[in-house]
Amino acid sequence: MNIRNNIVLRQKLAAEYVLGTLKGGARRRFEGWLHQDADLRNITAGWQQRLAPMAEFAGEVVPPKSVWAGIERRLDLKKKPARWQFWLNENLAFWRSLGMVSTALAAMLVVIVMQRPPADAPSIAYVATLSDDKAQAAMLLTADSKHRALDVRVITSAQVAADKSLQLWAVPKSGNPRSLGVLVGNRGSFTLADSAVSGDVAVLAVTLEPKGGSPDPKGPTGPILYKGHWIRL
Amino acid sequence: MNSPDPQQLKTWLLASGKRDAAAFRFLYDASSAKLFGFALRILHKRELAEEVLQESFVAIWNNAANYQGHLAAPMTWMATIVRNKAFDHLRRSDAAVEIDAEQFDREVMNALMDPQATPIEALQMSGDAKALAWCMSALEGMQRQVVALAFYHDLSHSEVAAHMKLPVGTVKTWIRRSLEKLRTCLAKREQA
Repeated sequence: MNIRNNIVLRQKLAAEYVLGTLKGGARRRFEGWLHQDADLRNITAGWQQRLAPMAEFAGEVVPPKSVWAGIERRLDLKKKPARWQFWLNENLAFWRSLGMVSTALAAMLVVIVMQRPPADAPSIAYVATLSDDKAQAAMLLTADSKHRALDVRVITSAQVAADKSLQLWAVPKSGNPRSLGVLVGNRGSFTLADSAVSGDVAVLAVTLEPKGGSPDPKGPTGPILYKGHWIRL
Repeated sequence: MNSPDPQQLKTWLLASGKRDAAAFRFLYDASSAKLFGFALRILHKRELAEEVLQESFVAIWNNAANYQGHLAAPMTWMATIVRNKAFDHLRRSDAAVEIDAEQFDREVMNALMDPQATPIEALQMSGDAKALAWCMSALEGMQRQVVALAFYHDLSHSEVAAHMKLPVGTVKTWIRRSLEKLRTCLAKREQA
């Protein structure tokens, strides 16, 4: 059937399609025409616009709160920016103010490190001091690129609970934090991965995790305790 | 609740298309009572209507980027989604459609039957809905009922005929004429 030139029929079919009385084969045929006939789509949209407001004749009923909660859950709308991203943004100002202090401190520590006997002299390429939220230096990191070794020491007297571990992370500018290792007690000796010192690392962070490290492969689960930056030597 | 400004709804709907969850929440708050009332009137069962409303808003969020403002007002677009979802549910559940005598909200019914006594202007609905109400009030009572039955319950000509105890031919003619009258009436109001 050619309905292209039958203006009256086009209107009638579109109207009954929208109303719902066009059923079965006739409905499927009409939907087939809709695909290839922009004018018919416009006519149909016109009928939607005319008849759909009948929905409002039903009157308003406020839905229970559980409906929105369900929508939020299904669409995962509550998803907040990942916590480490939050640290990054939140702490930008903090880091700017701290930069000078920790650079000076790290330089001093380097001097100490370098005064070790030269026999198995490590080739220290990077150092970092991580500070707590009061800007107190709490941890010293040294990266030996020759031996691919990362040495971590807690330099405060703070104790970690028996069922917790400290975990060290390199937080890149984008993407998930990379675990550099889980400390045992107040020390850690890890293999130095290239990704630990690569240029995209924005912050080094230590978090308090369940014993043995974060259960989440994507990143930390616990609060951040210490933060700092690499200084290249 | 006052009828939300269509322009405002459009802004929120377009923002939802750009994954703005806050705008989506505003859209929900402004439109969910209307859409829930609609779903409830089709489905009668609260639990089912809640499920359909939830599914509809998931679909609204997922399809908001495809919304074309020049083709449909936001409420039209969303109501069409709710209506399709509700009918899908009815078809799947295969439950006998419950059709009650009260098609619409009582006040709306009153206004449609006698706009002198219950002014359409006073109803809490959008301008589009008021225009349609005004034009439907000009239809003869039985013809209005036939149109409403088909729209709210996804009925065929013969189902409407069976429900109204009318010959199918009569129903077909009434629907055709009523739709034509509505089109003419709405076009006149638009020009006015």
